[in-house]
Amino acid sequence: MSSFNDIKPPKLSPQLGAIHPINQVKDFLIDLLQGYGFTAVDGPEIESEEFNFDMLNIKKTHPARQMHDTFYVNNKSKVLRTHTSPVQIRSMLDSNPPLAITSAGKVYRKDDDATHLPMFHQVEGMYIDEQVTFSQLKDLIHKIIYAIFGQEIQIRFRPSYFPFTEPSAEVDILSENGKWLEVLGCGIINPVVLENCNIDSNKYSGLAFGLGVERIAMLKYGVNDIREFYKSNLDFLSQFK
Amino acid sequence: MKFLYKDLLNFLSEKPSKKLLSEKLFQLGHEHEIAGDIFDMELTPNRGDCLSLNGLARDLNVFFGKVQPYKIYEGDILPLNFNFKNLSTDACPKISFLEIEIEGAIAAYKPYLENYFSLLGNKKVNFFTDVSNYISYELGQPTHCFDSSTMNNQLTFENKICQESFKTLLGSNINLDGKNCIFSVDDKIISLAGVMGGKSTACSSQTRKVLIECAYFKPEEIIGKSIKYNLVSDAAHKFERGVDIQAHEKVLRRFVAIVQDHAVIKNFKIQTFDDAAIDQSRIPFDLERVNKILGIDIEKEKYLMILNKLGIEINNNEVNVPSYRHDISSQNDLAEEIARVLGYDSIKSKPLDIKNNLNENIKHIYKFKNFLVQNGFSEVINFPFTSSKDKKSITIDNPLDSNKRYLRTSLKSSLLENLQYNERRQNDSIKLFEISDLYSKDDQTNQERKLGIIISGRRGHNYADFSKKLDFNYLNQILNEGLENDIFTIEEISRADLKTKKKDKIFYTEVLIENIPADMYKDYKPIEEKINFIKYQPVSEFPSSVRDFSFSIVDFDKYNIVIDLISSLDDDILKHAYVFDFYENKKLKEIKVGVRLIFQSVLCTLSEEEIQKTLHRLLKPILDLEGVSVPGL
Repeated sequence: MSSFNDIKPPKLSPQLGAIHPINQVKDFLIDLLQGYGFTAVDGPEIESEEFNFDMLNIKKTHPARQMHDTFYVNNKSKVLRTHTSPVQIRSMLDSNPPLAITSAGKVYRKDDDATHLPMFHQVEGMYIDEQVTFSQLKDLIHKIIYAIFGQEIQIRFRPSYFPFTEPSAEVDILSENGKWLEVLGCGIINPVVLENCNIDSNKYSGLAFGLGVERIAMLKYGVNDIREFYKSNLDFLSQFK
Repeated sequence: MKFLYKDLLNFLSEKPSKKLLSEKLFQLGHEHEIAGDIFDMELTPNRGDCLSLNGLARDLNVFFGKVQPYKIYEGDILPLNFNFKNLSTDACPKISFLEIEIEGAIAAYKPYLENYFSLLGNKKVNFFTDVSNYISYELGQPTHCFDSSTMNNQLTFENKICQESFKTLLGSNINLDGKNCIFSVDDKIISLAGVMGGKSTACSSQTRKVLIECAYFKPEEIIGKSIKYNLVSDAAHKFERGVDIQAHEKVLRRFVAIVQDHAVIKNFKIQTFDDAAIDQSRIPFDLERVNKILGIDIEKEKYLMILNKLGIEINNNEVNVPSYRHDISSQNDLAEEIARVLGYDSIKSKPLDIKNNLNENIKHIYKFKNFLVQNGFSEVINFPFTSSKDKKSITIDNPLDSNKRYLRTSLKSSLLENLQYNERRQNDSIKLFEISDLYSKDDQTNQERKLGIIISGRRGHNYADFSKKLDFNYLNQILNEGLENDIFTIEEISRADLKTKKKDKIFYTEVLIENIPADMYKDYKPIEEKINFIKYQPVSEFPSSVRDFSFSIVDFDKYNIVIDLISSLDDDILKHAYVFDFYENKKLKEIKVGVRLIFQSVLCTLSEEEIQKTLHRLLKPILDLEGVSVPGL
């Protein structure tokens, strides 16, 4: 029969916390893109209209610039960036091609419902060199999508419209229930944007793409309501250890 | 924009199935949903030219051929001598007016017109307005009908600053302010141009003489007006995206033809005020550039054929863009046209070898975050909007919630809210952190990246920590493992102002990320080890129930069996189970193991009966052991 001396107290299992699932997905994507040769760069969340809109070929009359879509601060002198694309502009102004950057962070739009939030996260990438083509963009996008969703996933490219890319595409994946789900926007950088950043568009061309981090997280984790990510509920967060 | 499948087929030579039509619309970039015979289109904002049957058919011509299924009035039309003054030709470079007078009653609507209302669910208003709405559906050009009997004096168009009330034809009163495109008679506004007409000049079922206005308004003058005045306007939707400045005569001749189908026309006259110097968009022919953009090698004949089918002509080595295609102005735009027709999925991928001038990656404090996680801290992300203002706060000019119009300058209040939220959800051990950029202003906008940490409650749920509280010393000790002592200050947050009955002390600290030592900026893990995409389980919104048991073990041979059984407890409604107490009573030769079971359902509040039933099932294998008991159970 065992004695007191044989008794060992129960093992003290560590009580782990968790990195926020949105940051887990964001970091995963940034690491992935760094592995492809992109350099991670950062930019401010409070931006000038010039960098957030004008330089990206988003005209003064574009609906996105209206007060009902964009947060303005300091007596309309600045905006809360509506996308991470101003970081592309800053990179193009700072460095000469060839240039491959990726940027991730918070962006803001004046939305608030079950599928949209006033703050969410984007990850973007941009590559500029001589003779960058749409067919190369497709190669890169396939690699990214396969890395996130697996090699078996079915992908569809659709024409779309973004003022800063031309041609532009949206990329869908086929879900298990047979529905196409949009996961990524991309395109060939509009020559107007290159010229705005003093890059010779006759010599250089570029590609750009952007993903919504919440969108990817919702699909990968099976979260249906985007608001769950921002309740700071430990019962929710502790699942992502 | 919604259309009937059969209506679009009338515009096409070939008659594709719904499935094939849907596939080709997607290939061309026209998203949609299908419900029965109705296609509900979600067109990109640069393709205003496709907001009609005619426009979609023009785009689909390359696949199915396009025909003109409708008749237009081909005869001569008398000139109208209309008293009109355009004071803002920049905003409205071209405008046409058609005056029609009919006699007698309106015949029953022909099927093409009737179906537009009955099958698409559109609401009839009056005959002339109904024709106007139908033509917009068919040809994409909005027109507006004024009852001629209400228009005795000069009509004036002007883009000007207004500050007056205006009653729309739907009866709502709107207060105009700022710059607006308006039509006026005798200085009284009768129509918010490009958006909605007014009540005072609206047609009715009695109208027999009508003035139809057909205009080109510059998109930038119309954008945002319908949202600003909360008006639902199909006309504004189209003008904002750009209509065809060359289409007026065709549209008005079609109007005449439809009226002729339904009534006897006494007379009709037309007049156009054209102040536009039409500058057709021309792009140099450069197939090599288009091939380079796409990374393909399309032949000249095929390139020309595709452009031709899209209505784009080549003359004198120049690509002439049709007046309805406001989205084409460069070689990249032409490349997109080719890619759309070939199909994006048909363009083969080519390997990309990335060359890069930049080598410096931004530094992430993965290691420090992982250190916190290992110690039980969970990361949160909060919105930056707050009601708290300090002298450096940045103000949001147009907040979503007017009570939260400032950007936070500290993480404290957000983390305090997170802590209280979790306390209300019966969480008794809370360790949270957040890393975020914070913004403030003095002479300029300042940006700081900060880490905030908040703790309160039990140190942990293990028996070693259960009865200890999270306190100053705990946090100080944790932080001192990774940080220099002089870069953080721990404060106790008083509960005096918090609406809570909790007594546990709250401690908080905020650290500038730039002060965190460089050796905390390392520790990348390989990607495949970095993330585990678990399938999330919905979180319960119902209260949990706690049950504590103290197992007395006098047969020490059973000790390990008991511990194993406790660690393997499992049930759908068992949220947590842990050993919160362990005591060896050498005097009584007894081991005490305290176990806490927390029950919660995602479906409902659990009844005592449900909990007892589950408890009985879970505990029976333990209590059946000889020498193991729960005193008092």
